[in-house]
Amino acid sequence: MAQKNPAKRTSPAGPPQLLWRREGADCLVTNDFGHYAWLKCKDFNLLAAGSLGEKHPKYAELADKGFVRDRLDFEGLAAKWRSKNAYLGTGPGLHILVLTLRCNHKCLYCQSAAAGVGARNADMSVETARKSVDFALQSSNPAITIEFQGGEPLLNWEALKAAVLRARAGAKKAGKQVSLALVSNFSLMTEEKASFLVENEVSVCTSLDGPADLHNRNRLFSGGNSHAATIKWLKYFQERYKHQVPGYRTFKPSALLTVSRYSLGRHKEIIDEYVKHGLEDIFIRPLAPIGYAKKCWGQIGYGAAEFTKFYLASLDYIHKLNRNGTVIREKMAAMMLEKIVNSRDPGYVDARCPCGAAIGQIAYNYNGDLYTCDEGRMVGWEGDDTFRIGNVRADSYRKVMASAATRACVLSSNLESQPDCARCVYKPYCGVCPVYNYEVQGSLWGDMAANDRCGLFKGIFGALFALLKKPGGEAILKKWAGK
Amino acid sequence: MKEEKKEFSLTADPRVYSAEALRLAAFVFSDRAEVCVKPGKGGLAVSFASAAPGFHPGDFMNEALNQQCRLDLAKKNSKAAGMIATKALLSAAGEKKKA
Ligand code: SF4
Ligand code: SF4
Repeated sequence: MAQKNPAKRTSPAGPPQLLWRREGADCLVTNDFGHYAWLKCKDFNLLAAGSLGEKHPKYAELADKGFVRDRLDFEGLAAKWRSKNAYLGTGPGLHILVLTLRCNHKCLYCQSAAAGVGARNADMSVETARKSVDFALQSSNPAITIEFQGGEPLLNWEALKAAVLRARAGAKKAGKQVSLALVSNFSLMTEEKASFLVENEVSVCTSLDGPADLHNRNRLFSGGNSHAATIKWLKYFQERYKHQVPGYRTFKPSALLTVSRYSLGRHKEIIDEYVKHGLEDIFIRPLAPIGYAKKCWGQIGYGAAEFTKFYLASLDYIHKLNRNGTVIREKMAAMMLEKIVNSRDPGYVDARCPCGAAIGQIAYNYNGDLYTCDEGRMVGWEGDDTFRIGNVRADSYRKVMASAATRACVLSSNLESQPDCARCVYKPYCGVCPVYNYEVQGSLWGDMAANDRCGLFKGIFGALFALLKKPGGEAILKKWAGK
Repeated sequence: MKEEKKEFSLTADPRVYSAEALRLAAFVFSDRAEVCVKPGKGGLAVSFASAAPGFHPGDFMNEALNQQCRLDLAKKNSKAAGMIATKALLSAAGEKKKA
């Protein structure tokens, strides 16, 4: 066979693909394989010029991580890339069933803009719930999670029960691993319902916004004390978790924190509240001006800088607690670290390329309409069906995956097509949100230079890499990943 | 009191902005102003009518620049971007793409 002409070598050879950011006298470099390294700026200049010699103390590390052109271990690096981007080989893993729009709470930020308890035509029928489960089981993903949400899903117990039983029976037939999860405010929980959930291996998650005064200020409940109900059932499920019985696995309950303007400055009390109630994870999620929250943003919202300050103070405090032996970790950081430190896909649909809209998650509205995600559904609730991808009764799985909204979200959340992201040092770990861009900046693509969500991620990544640079910090943060 | 709807016009430098970038920006701004893009003297003439309160032509030009950067990037990156998007969509639909 005729030999091909050898490729011409430009001399000196610069580094292969790399992304970088200057931080004072240091430079952070990353690459698409997910590797990162901190360099002194003078060493970065040598690397960029292709003149960082083999004797340089950083050479071996940089060569191992795929930053030296002549030392690329293609197979090893490709394996890293595949592991970090494993989601590209599967379909939607998260299936959110909105069992009802009704809720007995009136939370200040409620993105689901819930209807009152007495509202009509706001519940998913038993038949639609079963059809939704059947639809979810068609996903090309071998391991799916079906999450029951609302409104308050316990207000539609019959549909919840039917969906759980259908999913358990259907999983065997479909040969799928199916996890079931309930997100509830617990105010309508009873012993009987709790036992059904536990015995059918449904994990439970509730909202906990901090100590009673803060929680109850965010989460208005005319039927009593929202915080007290939450804590009561949190304890119940923790007890059941501690006392496992044969026949089924009981999961540890978890809680979700929503940071409103009222939370800012109260990070210690919030984290202490989580520790006090035995929760080992706290997910410090920013509020997004989407759907209903957009309308009251002036009252409850904040800017990227304010949230970043809150987030950094929280991380710092959690670190301090960890050093003193308290077990608690921040979930967003843990998921990002899973990518940064272990090059593994943590299944975080909101920070990946392309994002998980439709191809990573689907939201099933009470009436069977399908949306790219719950955030897309909220835009639909405001009367704009840009993110509607079909209907569970009318459309086939393949049609939904090929819908215009699915494709538009995949294209617009592709970081390789986003001018700022394509060159950003955080690209290997980050993701953009078409729904946020659409709601805040008027297009699915958005403009990252002026995008608050991007600013927020920059703040979070900046904090994580700064902590990873500290010798003690790295050891603690590595423990958070892959737990 | 309702702020009066305003009209503006400007000329975009064709060395920086393509007509496509300006049209894409016009689409993004369609809820804030009626934008008209026409060939003009020394560049592309952009005029704004029925501008909503708070509208600023500078914001429109930022969006046009964003769109232009995206178009320029697509020329360079479209292969990698296309591969990722295709893989994601085919996998989600349950189809395997041969490498
Ligand atoms: S969204 Fe912002 S932080 Fe994330 S990759 Fe894009 S530019 Fe970087
Ligand atoms: S559109 Fe936004 S909220 Fe929806 S999956 Fe993508 S990143 Fe998440």
